[in-house]
Amino acid sequence: MKIQKLILVFCSALVLVSCDPESAFVETPLGAYDNGILVLNQGGFGAGNASVSFISDDLVTSQNNIFSLVNPTITFGDTAQDVGFYQNLGFAVLNGSNKIVVFNRYSLEFVTSINTGLSNPRYIAFANNKAYVTNWGSGSNPNDDFVAIVNLLDYSVATAIPVIEGPEKIIVDGNNLYVAHAGGFNYGNKISVINSLNNSVTSTITVGDVPNSMQIKDSNLYVLCGGNPSFAPTETAGKLVKIALTNANAVATVFDFGLLNHPSNLVIADANLYYTVSNEIYKITTTTTVLPTTPLFTTNAQGAYGIYSFAVHNNSFYIGDAGDYNSNGKVYVYSNSGSLNQDFTVGIIPAGFYFN
Amino acid sequence: MTVKHGLTFLYLFFSCLSFGQKDTIVSLEEVILPDYNLKKNSNSLLTNSLSDSLLQNSSSLTSLLRNNTAIYFKENGLGMVSSASFRGTTAQQTAVIWNGININSQFNGQTDFNTISASDFNEVVVRHGGGSSIYGSSAIGGSIHLNTTINFKTKLENALQLEYGSFETSKVNYQLRFAKRKFSTQISITRNASQNDYPYLNTNQKNENGDFYNNSYNLALGFKLNPKNSIFFYSYLFSSNRNFSGTLVAPSFSKYKDFNTRNLIEWNSEFSKFTSKMQLAFLSEKYTYFENQAFPIFDDAKAETVVAKYQLNFNFSKKLEFSTLLDITHTKGFGESVGENNRTIYSAILLSKYLPTEKLVIEASVRQELTSNYESPFLFSLGTVYQINKWYDFKTNISRNYRIPTFNDLFYKGSGNTTLKPEIATQFEVGNSFKLIKNLKLDVVGYYIKIKELLRWSPNSSGSWMPNNVANVTSYGAELNLNYNFKFQKNIFNLQTNYAYTVSQDDAKNKQLIYVPFHKQTTTFTYNYQNFTTYLNYIFNGSVFTTSDNNYILSNYSVANFGLRYAFPFYENITIGSTINNLFNENYQSVSQRPMPGRNYNFLITLNF
Repeated sequence: MKIQKLILVFCSALVLVSCDPESAFVETPLGAYDNGILVLNQGGFGAGNASVSFISDDLVTSQNNIFSLVNPTITFGDTAQDVGFYQNLGFAVLNGSNKIVVFNRYSLEFVTSINTGLSNPRYIAFANNKAYVTNWGSGSNPNDDFVAIVNLLDYSVATAIPVIEGPEKIIVDGNNLYVAHAGGFNYGNKISVINSLNNSVTSTITVGDVPNSMQIKDSNLYVLCGGNPSFAPTETAGKLVKIALTNANAVATVFDFGLLNHPSNLVIADANLYYTVSNEIYKITTTTTVLPTTPLFTTNAQGAYGIYSFAVHNNSFYIGDAGDYNSNGKVYVYSNSGSLNQDFTVGIIPAGFYFN
Repeated sequence: MTVKHGLTFLYLFFSCLSFGQKDTIVSLEEVILPDYNLKKNSNSLLTNSLSDSLLQNSSSLTSLLRNNTAIYFKENGLGMVSSASFRGTTAQQTAVIWNGININSQFNGQTDFNTISASDFNEVVVRHGGGSSIYGSSAIGGSIHLNTTINFKTKLENALQLEYGSFETSKVNYQLRFAKRKFSTQISITRNASQNDYPYLNTNQKNENGDFYNNSYNLALGFKLNPKNSIFFYSYLFSSNRNFSGTLVAPSFSKYKDFNTRNLIEWNSEFSKFTSKMQLAFLSEKYTYFENQAFPIFDDAKAETVVAKYQLNFNFSKKLEFSTLLDITHTKGFGESVGENNRTIYSAILLSKYLPTEKLVIEASVRQELTSNYESPFLFSLGTVYQINKWYDFKTNISRNYRIPTFNDLFYKGSGNTTLKPEIATQFEVGNSFKLIKNLKLDVVGYYIKIKELLRWSPNSSGSWMPNNVANVTSYGAELNLNYNFKFQKNIFNLQTNYAYTVSQDDAKNKQLIYVPFHKQTTTFTYNYQNFTTYLNYIFNGSVFTTSDNNYILSNYSVANFGLRYAFPFYENITIGSTINNLFNENYQSVSQRPMPGRNYNFLITLNF
C-alpha cells in the first residue's frame, strides 16, 4: 500500500504548507517628534499606504510610520500631498482620500479629520487664521477647480473660491495668496492671486508652462515652471519667473531653461535659490542674471534616479528618492558642499520635508 | 484554522477509502471543438477541464477560476478589475483563448476576468505552461480556453436559470440547444447585475460606487454541407457597465464600460489523409472610462482585429501527424490616448505529433512571425509523454514563449515606446500523472521559467512614466491536482483539490514579485444523493507582498463556500438551490485596502424544458 502512503504525504503536505509565519516585531512611538524633520511619504495612488517618517535634526534618531505608531487604529490615508503647520497643529492633505488629517505636530496625536468640502485636495497654506486648500475637483473636469477655505475653529470648509484648472502650490504674502496652476490633468501657465480679506481672485499672472514651485523673497515672487513634459502634446522648456509684488505683480525677469530641462523643487535659503533638474542640484542667488550650466552637486553617487522631493535647512540638503515608486524610498542628507552626510530608508514615495 | 483540520480529515478519510473503486462509464457524442489543437497538442502539459455544473455555478470567469484552480487572482473588490497570475507570471502572461482565438486586450495585454460570463460556455479548460507557439502572445504561465462545443445529435433543450442574492445580486441565464440532421445551434444569454454595496467587515463603511451589470450572449451555429464539409459560426458579445469602487481610505466616482465582440467563421473540410480548417475571425474591444461619472467627460479607445487562419493537417500514418498553420492578424487601434495605429503579424506554425511506440507520445510545434512592430523570436515547444506503467505517465515539456508589447506600451500618447522588444520566456517542466485507481487522478508538476526582457512601466529621471524592457524574472514551483470520484450505493462523492507552490523572483532584486502568493490551494468536496447535491468549496490564498522591496505584506486568507441543490422528485426539470459564500465570514482583501464581501447568500432556480 505504498500508494496510499504517497497520497497521505501529499495531502498532509498540502495542509502543513498553508501556514505563513507572521512577524511579531512591535515598535513603540518615540513620544516627541520636535527638533526634527517630518517626512511625508505619499504612498501609492489607491494603495492607501501614505505615512509619515521622522528624522531628528542631529540625524541620530529616525522612525518610520510614526502616525500609525501613535494612532494605531487610524489609517493615515491615500496619496499624501502636503503638510501645513499652523500653531501646534499639522494639517496633512490626503489627495486620494479627499481629506485633511489634523494632528499635533509634536506628538503626532490625531486631532480630527476634515472629510467634507474637499475634492482632490492638493496643497495648503494659512492666512488670516484660515486654511486655504487647493482642489482639482474631478480631475477630468477642467471647470470645477476651487480653493477651499477651512475654518480653523471648527475645521469645517466654509467657502470655496472657484479658480481655473489645476490649482497646485499655494503661498502667502500678507493678505495675498498666490496659487500656481500647474494644470491638473492638463498643463497650466497661470498664477491666481487671491485676496484673503474678501476671498476673491483679484488677478491672474501668466508665467511659464506648469508652474511647480514658488518662493517669496524681498517682495519678489519666484515661480519655477517645469515646462510641458515630454509626454505632453508639445514639450516646452522650463522657466524661472520673477514677479515684483510691489509693482502690481509685474513680471520682472524671466530665465529660460534649455528645451529638455524640466526644473522643479524651487527652494530659498538666505539669499540663495536652489532648484533641481533630474538628479542635479543647482544654486543661484537673488542677483543672478544668467542660469548656471553646472550643478552644485548631483546624486549620481547615490544612484538616486531622480529627485522626488527637496529641501534646504540649516545648510543641509534633504533629497527624497522615490526609487521604483513601489518600495520604501530613501532620504539623502548632504552638506552644503554636496557631500553625503547620512541616508535613511523612509516610507513609500517621500514627497515632502517639514521642519518641526 | 479548524477548516483546515476538517479538510485534512477529509483527505485522509477519502484517500484511505479510495482504493478498489469501479469505473464510471462516460458516453461520448462526437463533439466538435473549434480549438482543434487544444486536445491534440497538450498531452505533455497539465490540462484541467472545468465542467458544465461549475460553469453554471459561477457568475464570472474570476469566480470560476479563483474557486476551482490554483491560479491566483487579484481583484479590486468583487466584480471590479480582475487579473490572473499563473505560475507567478504577470497579468499579461496568461492568455485567454476563445474558441482557439487569443482575446487578450490589445491595449493592456491582459484579460479582465470579470468581463467574461462563465455560464456562456460549455467548457473552460486551463492549460498549464507555455503555449505561444500555438496560441501566440501571453501563453507563458498558461492559457485559459473558453470553448463552445457543438454536435449534431438531434435535440431541443431549453434551460433557464434565475439567481438572486445578497447586495441585490442577480443573474439570469437562458440557454437553447437545438440540433437536427445537418444543422445545430446553441445560444446562451446572460445578465449579471449587482448593487454590490456590501459592508466592509469590522468597519462602519460599505463598498460604495461598486454597482455593475453586464449582458452577454454566446452563439454557435453549425451546418453539415456533406459528410466531408461543414461550416461553423461562433459569436460572443459582452457589454458591461461598472462603477469602480473605492478603497477603505479613498473614495471613487469612476465608471467603466466595456463592449467586446468576437466573431468566428470556420470551414472544415476532409480529403484523403488531409483535414483543412479555414478560419476568419473579427474581434473588437472598446472601453469608455469616466474618471467622475457625474460628468460626461471620458476617455475611450477601440481596437478591431481581423484574424485569418488556415490549418492543414496531414495524417501521414496512425503514428505520425503533421499540421501547418498560417495566421495573419491585423489590428487597428484608435483612441485619444493611443492615437490611430495598425499592426499586422504574419505567423507560420508547424505542428507534429509522433507516436514511435505505444507508450510514447512526442509533440512538437514551432512558430515564426513577421511583423514591423517588434523583433519576433523563434518560438517552439517540444513535449513527451511516456507511459511508465498503467497508472503512471511521465511528461516533459520545454518551450519558448513570448508576450508582445501592447498598443498602450507602443503608442500611448507621449509615453509609448516603439523600440520595445517582446518578453521572452524559456521554460521547462516535468509532469507526473497518476491514475492510481480508475476514479482517482493525481497530477504533480514541477516547472522552471526564465523570463527575459520583462516589460515594465517605470518613471524616468524626470518623473515621466514609460515602458521599458527592464527586468529578468525566474519563476519555479510545483502544482498538484487531485480528482477523485467515489460511489457508495446511491451516494456519490467527488473531491477535487489543486495546490500551487510558486516562487517568482526579480533577478536583480532577488525578491518575490508583488501579488504572487507562495501558496494557493482550492478544494471542492461534492456529495450527491439522488436528487440532492451539496458542495463545500474551500480556498486558501497565501500572503502576498504588495511592494517590490517585500516590506509590505497583505495577509493570507481562507474562504469557504457552501452550496445545496435539489431537483424536485416529480418535476426533475426544476432544480432549486442556495449558496452561502464566505461561510465563515472571513474578513479579507484580495488587493490591499479593498475588502471583499463577508458571508452572503444566493438562491437559484433552474428550469429545463
